[in-house]
Amino acid sequence: MMRLAAAVLVAILVGFPVAVMPGPPVTWLAAVALVVAGAGVALLSVTLVTVGASLALIAHTIALVIVQAAVDPVAAIGVAVTLVILLALVHFADRVHGAALGPGVIATQVRQWTAIVAAGALAATTLTMVAALLGAALATATLPMVVATAALGALLAVAGVIALTTREDPPRVS
Amino acid sequence: MSWRPTALNVSFLTLAGWALFLGLLTGRADLVVIAVPLIVALAAGRRTAAPSPVQIHHAVSAERVLEDERLTVTVTIRAEGAAPLVELLEPLPPRVELERGSHHAFFSLRAGEEVGWEFVLRCGSRQRLRLGGPHVRLWGPLGLAAGEARFRAPQTVAVYPHLTSLRHPPRPVRTQTYVGNHVSPAQGEGIEPGDIRPFAPGDHVRHVNWRATLRHGALHVTQHHHERNADVVLLLDTLSDVGPPGASVVDAAVRGAADLAAAYLARKDRVGLIEYGGQLRWVKPGSGRAQFQRLLDTLLDASVVFTYVTRDLDLVPPRILPPQALVLALSPLLDARFVRAAGDLTARGFDLVVIAVSPAPAARAAVRPGPVADLAARLWDLERRAELDAHRRRGLSIVSWDGVGPLDAALASLRRPRLRRTLAR
Repeated sequence: MMRLAAAVLVAILVGFPVAVMPGPPVTWLAAVALVVAGAGVALLSVTLVTVGASLALIAHTIALVIVQAAVDPVAAIGVAVTLVILLALVHFADRVHGAALGPGVIATQVRQWTAIVAAGALAATTLTMVAALLGAALATATLPMVVATAALGALLAVAGVIALTTREDPPRVS
Repeated sequence: MSWRPTALNVSFLTLAGWALFLGLLTGRADLVVIAVPLIVALAAGRRTAAPSPVQIHHAVSAERVLEDERLTVTVTIRAEGAAPLVELLEPLPPRVELERGSHHAFFSLRAGEEVGWEFVLRCGSRQRLRLGGPHVRLWGPLGLAAGEARFRAPQTVAVYPHLTSLRHPPRPVRTQTYVGNHVSPAQGEGIEPGDIRPFAPGDHVRHVNWRATLRHGALHVTQHHHERNADVVLLLDTLSDVGPPGASVVDAAVRGAADLAAAYLARKDRVGLIEYGGQLRWVKPGSGRAQFQRLLDTLLDASVVFTYVTRDLDLVPPRILPPQALVLALSPLLDARFVRAAGDLTARGFDLVVIAVSPAPAARAAVRPGPVADLAARLWDLERRAELDAHRRRGLSIVSWDGVGPLDAALASLRRPRLRRTLAR
């Protein structure tokens, strides 16, 4: 059941770039992404799913660049939500494979995922709106300055997240 | 217990990194937007507070079981605070199979909630089963952080060899002084009729044999044999072993020894045990249920211990190996030291019966079946028969047993000498 749900998510993820540009080379790359991520779902391998999702993301980028499509924050949030749920689902399915599940485990997980995804979507929407306001305010700013600031911000954000997730807590006795 | 990031963080970071990189490379804001929920998920999955303590109670249904019997393991988990996802894993010891349920489970607990978890194990072969308690892992949201601990509740379960009743265990040649089930050559009170002799003053009238009295014209009485017990010493060869754990020659010999011990103790005999191997261990002959438990506990630990030192059975004190005892040796007769020791016992006048446990079935279980294995097994069988015949010619009383079939059938072929009147008490 969890494999089926993950397979549906993979299909949705691969469908985003194909929907933007239904033709080569996007379809080829999307097909490769589908095969790799599908194999990851079948084997319950988070690594393969990550590789497949990365390929799907690249295919999405290529499709957007070739078509020169207008910025669509809703589709972007959809891709992000699919990615988060897909990774969480495959990881969870891998952990619980062959194990007994107590009552309420699935429901609790779905509640948690929904809350986090909703928070992510809300944050993305808020940032998009702030960016739109900033874009109007900084219309006169030079492009290199904006790009450099954005790159620095992105770098700092990623560095902060890496530091947060890799720092070890002092051992506690419980 | 403390939270640690899991490998899933790398996947989230990779995808967030790709989205940001591609967004900056192409100058498209929607690709940067894709990275935002991923980064939010990473931040949300990060745990800083200590995991809520989980109390675990671990219990097993029995401390003593027989081979192939079921053992129910019950684990009760209680969370002090909310624990959205608790993973429990009880490692299975070797030679134990999961019969029902799962030894790996996930639970979602609210604050103060208590849940029970149960699974059934099938204990395959004799051993001291050690269940150490479950591994506990608490998972954070999305599986991005986990805290691990081991709940230590070491519990030992004794898995005794499966018992099969023996109807005809080898009859001892010599009996002892206490009342038992064996007919003694000595005459006296009993129910087994013996010789007929002329009546003497003091004889009971109920012992008068009227048929002989009428034939001879004078009173004759029937004498009776005493019913006495015997001393039986089980000599277990642990100098060598063949076959996979649980189905080896020593395991078969242990099962046979347990069956013999049960059969003789049921007949009110005194049974002792000598483990003749790298370590010389023994149990003094005794009777009753406590003695049976002692024997089973000793048999449970019987195993091959490698040593260069050869210990002689002369070291065994006479109270452990009484001269009047019936000695039943269970051995594959693969080690020359044991064959020599058996020969010495026979030469010293012990009533010795060797139950030669065939190593062939155990060896066949360890190798891949095929025509070459079949041929080798047949050649080995021929060679072994020749060896056993040679031992028989040297005076050893040997019964061949394949270790798989019933021991009773193998013992039926044993021909025992008549009771020795001269040596009997």
